[in-house]
Amino acid sequence: MSGLSLDATQLDRYSRHIIMDEVGPEGQKRLLESSALVIGAGGLGAPVIQYLAAAGVGHIGVVDDDVVERSNLQRQVIHGDADVGRPKVDSAKDFVTTLNPDVDVDTHQTRLGRSNADLIEGYDVVVDASDNFPTRYLVNDTARLAGIPVSHGAIYKFEGQVTTLHPDGPCYRCLFREAPEPGTVPDCATTGVLGVLPGTVGCIQATEAVKLLLDAGDPLVGRMLFYDAMDMTFDTVPYAEDPDCPVCGDDPIDSIEDVEYADSCGIGAGAD
Amino acid sequence: MQWKLFADLAEVAGDREIRVDVGPGATVGDALDALFEAQPALRDRVLNDSGAVADHINVLRNGENVGADDGLETTLVEGDELALFPPVSGGR
Repeated sequence: MSGLSLDATQLDRYSRHIIMDEVGPEGQKRLLESSALVIGAGGLGAPVIQYLAAAGVGHIGVVDDDVVERSNLQRQVIHGDADVGRPKVDSAKDFVTTLNPDVDVDTHQTRLGRSNADLIEGYDVVVDASDNFPTRYLVNDTARLAGIPVSHGAIYKFEGQVTTLHPDGPCYRCLFREAPEPGTVPDCATTGVLGVLPGTVGCIQATEAVKLLLDAGDPLVGRMLFYDAMDMTFDTVPYAEDPDCPVCGDDPIDSIEDVEYADSCGIGAGAD
Repeated sequence: MQWKLFADLAEVAGDREIRVDVGPGATVGDALDALFEAQPALRDRVLNDSGAVADHINVLRNGENVGADDGLETTLVEGDELALFPPVSGGR
């Protein structure tokens, strides 16, 4: 829709964006012409999808292989009681369609793996709202090789971690070279999670995604934001590009073909 | 010195903040040894099979990775804050 201007309905719908110099009609048009891939339509994905759709990000892809369970509804706010048993991608698409007819949704009812990771390509930004280390390392590696920025968020009980992995900055492996061995860190089905926690963290991820699409502000590049819901504190930990990073360092891999996204998700002979 | 522990490390230790009896002039490594002495269960969670700090755990002094200084040999000064942070993966 390049070259088209905003219609009257859009001028009204996005008026609170358009009135700001930092967005304006140009920025809003940019959002409408941009695309975001949200990986995971669960606790983090729900607010991300909600706010990207409301903001008028014109094309949203959603990847999730799960169906809605009743125990999801304590935090996954785009799914409703009547959606229990339905694929999350379908429920997510219905939510977006009801909220904003300007937005096209591409649903991928699948688990992201090495064989289909190329569906990341072509998107302007990727939002990692997944729930496991293999997917997170796969997203980092694939998006970095494709030159696509990632808004990363992860949660644990009452804590959140958010950072932005931009092609011009350090990647996730610069901070955490490899994943902990499976079983080291318990998952949220075992430990539980405060329902509103992924809301806070997902909203920060959506903020970062919108900023990246607008090319506005200072993204969380080279900074890991820690949120502690119990203490209600935010800490920022800086991190730098690691020249020895196997994905973005001086001697990077050129494909993910030989990376095993299991166990510690290590790369190369030096992996342990 | 005081250690701050993030995510599952705090659970392994049973507390988010742990004070160790190590003062200025000692190294980050000394403070880490003292932490393991106070909370032995942390040793297996933090160290890998070869006895080094696991690749996925960041050792921070005043919010910055000690790798930027002298690693575990970094000398502590009065008021330093130490932290261990691992990645988390939840999202559902």
